[in-house]
Amino acid sequence: MRSVSNTTRIALYLYGLLILLVLYLPLVSVGFASVSKARYLSFPVNRYTSEWMVQAVTSPNVHALVLTSLKIAVLVTLLSMLLGFFGALAFARFQWKYRPLFQKLILLPIFFPQTVLGLALLIWFSALGVQPSWKTAVIAHLVWIAPITTLIIAIRAYGFDPALEEAARDMGASTLTILREVTLPLLMPGVISAGLFAFLLSWGNFPLSLFTSGLDSTLPKWLYARMVSGYTPQIPALGVLSVAGSAALMLIGIGLVRWMRRRA
Amino acid sequence: MVAQPFVRIENVTKRFGRFTALDRISLDIAEGEFLTIVGPSGSGKSTLIRLLVGIDDVTEGTIRLNGTRIDTMPANKRPTCMVFQSLALFPHMSVGRNIEFPQKLKKIAPAARKARALELLRLLRLPEDYYGKMIGQLSGGERQRVALARALAFDPQIIVFDEPLSALDYRLRKTLEKELKDLHARTGKTFVYITHSLEEAMVMSDRIAIMKRGRFEQIDVAEAIYSRPVSRFVASFMGEVNLFEAAEEQGKARWGDAGIRALSGGLALPAGWRGALMVRPELLRFVAEGQGADFTVQGRVVAEYALGSRIQYAIDTLAGTRITVERPFEQRLAAGSDAPVTLGWDRDAVHPIAEEPRHATA
Repeated sequence: MRSVSNTTRIALYLYGLLILLVLYLPLVSVGFASVSKARYLSFPVNRYTSEWMVQAVTSPNVHALVLTSLKIAVLVTLLSMLLGFFGALAFARFQWKYRPLFQKLILLPIFFPQTVLGLALLIWFSALGVQPSWKTAVIAHLVWIAPITTLIIAIRAYGFDPALEEAARDMGASTLTILREVTLPLLMPGVISAGLFAFLLSWGNFPLSLFTSGLDSTLPKWLYARMVSGYTPQIPALGVLSVAGSAALMLIGIGLVRWMRRRA
Repeated sequence: MVAQPFVRIENVTKRFGRFTALDRISLDIAEGEFLTIVGPSGSGKSTLIRLLVGIDDVTEGTIRLNGTRIDTMPANKRPTCMVFQSLALFPHMSVGRNIEFPQKLKKIAPAARKARALELLRLLRLPEDYYGKMIGQLSGGERQRVALARALAFDPQIIVFDEPLSALDYRLRKTLEKELKDLHARTGKTFVYITHSLEEAMVMSDRIAIMKRGRFEQIDVAEAIYSRPVSRFVASFMGEVNLFEAAEEQGKARWGDAGIRALSGGLALPAGWRGALMVRPELLRFVAEGQGADFTVQGRVVAEYALGSRIQYAIDTLAGTRITVERPFEQRLAAGSDAPVTLGWDRDAVHPIAEEPRHATA
């Protein structure tokens, strides 16, 4: 490789630093706001307190919110992994008549503005006579997230030698055995990354939950409501905890995928 | 009653939409035979073996094994096993688990499975500690052997090979060709092998079937394919051969316009015969003008190529026809390029290939 001059190297470092600053400064300021004694958003912080953090962790109200968000996110994760797995097989593995149409239709929900999608789903639920609750939010999240997991797993399925399944069949494996012994293990890294994305996207989703979760409140929905009426530093405190939790989950997921790749 | 052929492929046609990949193919394979199907890409050879193992379904015709129809049987019920071009080894399993995969499906006990896997590793000259290695840690040749071991673990009645050596370098390919032939002799299994290299086929096979556009052009032992090809297509498949356009004239061959002299009565041909007369490069020799051979032609050396133990000459006749000559290296010409020479060959070195297309069945 061509060596880089010192000036270029310094310029590159400065550029990288600038990008990090732009990306992470807002997050850092939220971090500061969460430990600020003042009840209003201000910077720089004069006096620090852990009061809001403690409140965020101990409040029963917050527990209920986290539980609802978690319930939705876990269900969405599991269902979208399942739908994404079979969707990816239809998307990338099997030749069938309507595949080109399927490949285009599956992308549409991703490009749909989420607020409009949320409203459309709400209208649809009420037309069906379904009371909006956290359960309908799961369905709403799935409409948006399942196509994303399908695409993530499909990328892996494209890199898959069809001869592997043919060889398994040739040696006497049934369709179910092939799925269990060959297809699923080989697509697993894709399925896990897709699950990770699904969880994070559902956990942080606001526009779809706003319209479709009815009286059940999720964490982002509640944060928004409190932001509009009655801000306390508990909001940035919850935000920081939520980001920390997501980051931890990401790290676990990346570690898991790495581990599986090393085994393969 | 006539003895039942081991495998009988009868009038098999395979169409993909409007494209006919195989056109009324018939072929018998004997038990324990090493049969190689040779053809260029798109000739239908891969299609045929995919029908044989059941990955694809026949459009028309039947395939029988020991008299029982297998073309209607799903792939996972057939006693056939394919070694794929990509080898199709499972990357998420160890060498041992790969080899044991077919036995596991047959519900053979783990201890017996492992014993058999180790035995197969020995048979294929792989160290026993490869049992626990992952596929990604092996070289191309080692993967090849693992794929073979897995196919043998399945214990099929027929093992089918889809150009498994094509991705390997020349030297390794040559070694594995011989190993495969030995393995065939030691296991006594029926091998059906496909390749686009007639050279590879000749090393290994009992019989060779040449395919062209969904049909068999010739099915015969290697020696016959080499010295008595039925068509220009088969002849040219073997590499450099000399084909002279010719026609019958008063019961004898008229050798185009190459300036060839017939010294001892010429070559008898049936009335109305038209086609090409084939002379292999190694059956030509340098002679004195007008003597020492049944046919002679004058020309000059255009180029000389050393092939190791042999030497090849490109020679243009006075009429401008290019002829390839191959001699042992010891018989190298003293004269250099552009030297005038006379080539000679005998009547039994000439193989006539008639013009009208023929199709082989066996």
